[in-house]
Amino acid sequence: MSDNLLSVRELVIHYETDEEVVEAVNNISFDLKKGEILGLVGETGAGKTTTALGIMGLLPPKVANVISGSVELDGNDLLRMTDRQMRKIRGKRISMIFQDPMTALNPVKTVGDQISEVVLLHDRCSKAEALRRAQEMLGMVGIVPERYRDYPHQFSGGMKQRIVIAIALACRPDLLIADEPTTALDVTIQAQILDMMRNLQKENGTSMILITHDLGVVAEMCDHCAVMYAGELVEYGTVEAVFDHPKHPYTEALYRSIPSLDKDVERLHVIPGMVTDPASLPAYCSFADRCGDACGMCRTLDPKVLDLGGGHTVKCLKYTSKWEGKTDGKTESA
Amino acid sequence: MLKYIVKRILYLIPILLGVSAIIFALKTITPGDPARQILGNEASEEQVQAKREELGLNDPVVVQYLRYIGGIVTGGDFGDSYRTGEPVLSEIVPRLWTSAKITFGAVIIGAAVGVLLGIISALKKYTWADSLVLVISMFFQSVPEFVVALVLIMIFAVNLHLLPATGLESWQGYIMPMLCIGLSSVAGYTRITRSSMLEVLGEDYIRTARAKGQSESNITVHHALRNAMIPVAQSVGTNLGNAIGGGMVLETVFGVPGVGKYIVDSITQRNYPSVLGGALIIAMVLTVINLIVDVSFVLIDPRLKTTIISGGAKRAPKKKIKAA
Repeated sequence: MSDNLLSVRELVIHYETDEEVVEAVNNISFDLKKGEILGLVGETGAGKTTTALGIMGLLPPKVANVISGSVELDGNDLLRMTDRQMRKIRGKRISMIFQDPMTALNPVKTVGDQISEVVLLHDRCSKAEALRRAQEMLGMVGIVPERYRDYPHQFSGGMKQRIVIAIALACRPDLLIADEPTTALDVTIQAQILDMMRNLQKENGTSMILITHDLGVVAEMCDHCAVMYAGELVEYGTVEAVFDHPKHPYTEALYRSIPSLDKDVERLHVIPGMVTDPASLPAYCSFADRCGDACGMCRTLDPKVLDLGGGHTVKCLKYTSKWEGKTDGKTESA
Repeated sequence: MLKYIVKRILYLIPILLGVSAIIFALKTITPGDPARQILGNEASEEQVQAKREELGLNDPVVVQYLRYIGGIVTGGDFGDSYRTGEPVLSEIVPRLWTSAKITFGAVIIGAAVGVLLGIISALKKYTWADSLVLVISMFFQSVPEFVVALVLIMIFAVNLHLLPATGLESWQGYIMPMLCIGLSSVAGYTRITRSSMLEVLGEDYIRTARAKGQSESNITVHHALRNAMIPVAQSVGTNLGNAIGGGMVLETVFGVPGVGKYIVDSITQRNYPSVLGGALIIAMVLTVINLIVDVSFVLIDPRLKTTIISGGAKRAPKKKIKAA
């Protein structure tokens, strides 16, 4: 295969309860090259975390079902692996950082034990060696290595997230999935943590999927950007393409909702309506009901993913001949 | 840590003063003359009066109370039993020891079985195994202890002749009392373990452990269990206390000379020094047990160390500044 580290193809994940079926992830596909950072953006409930957990194989059992699709790491489909095979991959080849560092660490174990645990699991070495490695990792994330004997409650939130990152990177994974790593942190700490993550990512050549709803973070950190809405990938491309020439009306609306420093506005711009309920998705474009550009056809057809060239894809009827809405300057036909 | 322990032992003083004051008050309110009771109906009024004088019953209650407290503080003297004339302390200590042995054994049995069942039902939640565990533990909770005791005696002593029906002459005598008290507490431990285990298994740090590639069995043992044991340990502490003084029914059924039976007998005989001494000594033992349980929490939950040792999280921030 090519230099793709991770290749997600037509992934569909449903949450099934007795009352309803929640279509959390619908038919998404994307590739991630070695050493690349992909930003996954979208509102709460767009399916970002579900996608990440699906890749990790950590979806809640029984409730969540992977309906179809594939997640290939170096050409091997992770979804077809046994639990035992997956355990060898988790922590070693793919690591994940979770949103809330306050609860992500076991309160009754020392941080040294928690870091060395992952080393012991995947690398053949002695306990002493693993502990030495844990101290090295602490130093790497900017914590005095001697504190390996301390318990999580003796650290602040930002430092806990550093420890979580140390655990995630301890076995030098090929892919790091960071699920809103800075959302729970103080704004001043956010920048520190992101800087550190980027430096470590560059040093180790780790690929990264950064889940966030902070577009500024994406612009700062990422090479590619994927915009999710109601479990679908509505727009994908390089950060330059998506930020400078947003194509999907949802992406455009997201940018409009960022408050501007130079303009004085009474109210912030909001996207009208509520996030589409993933338990009852329409048969047509799921954004049509909130979309300013929607036409009659938008409420009839579910658009296909369209390549606009240069790897910039968009899932919108606007760029096809079927669109019947008003044609203004920025609309291109495909 | 030492400061904390000393402080907790000092709390014992107001507790004991309160307990003794209440029992002393009861003694004066309840009708009946202890002197008459000791001497029997045939004794003359003069003899009774002399006995009252000897026991100090003619003094004002406050004086009696202060004299009693003074005796305990200066010489560990809890008074003499009205019935036997023996010092209360030497009557209670061996009985307390017997009750304590049975209680510890029972708590170990109950906690071991309960925690095990709790873990099983948490890991197999909403399956037949979960329901079965619930039914079994509910059964032992709903059936009164003495019924279980009688059934056990029927099976093991009467039919199988494996264990003695009553008495503690050999170590086999301890088995059935321990089992009875233990089984009755299984339901409580099972439910606490199940709910706290389910809560812990839903915690983020369990997901972190899964993300490390750790196996489910290791996650249960190394990550979940210790966290889930915190509420269980708390309940072991309270159970120990309740069971030592409260094993009266079973002590009667099994003919065990324990402290619960001793106190109840003393109450019916209006043997106030024994009641009072028993209550005070049990209160002391309970306080010490609770203290040991509380201190041992530190071993399970390191977060408590800062609270217990320094009486507040004063040391943690200092460290943070140094390392930041």
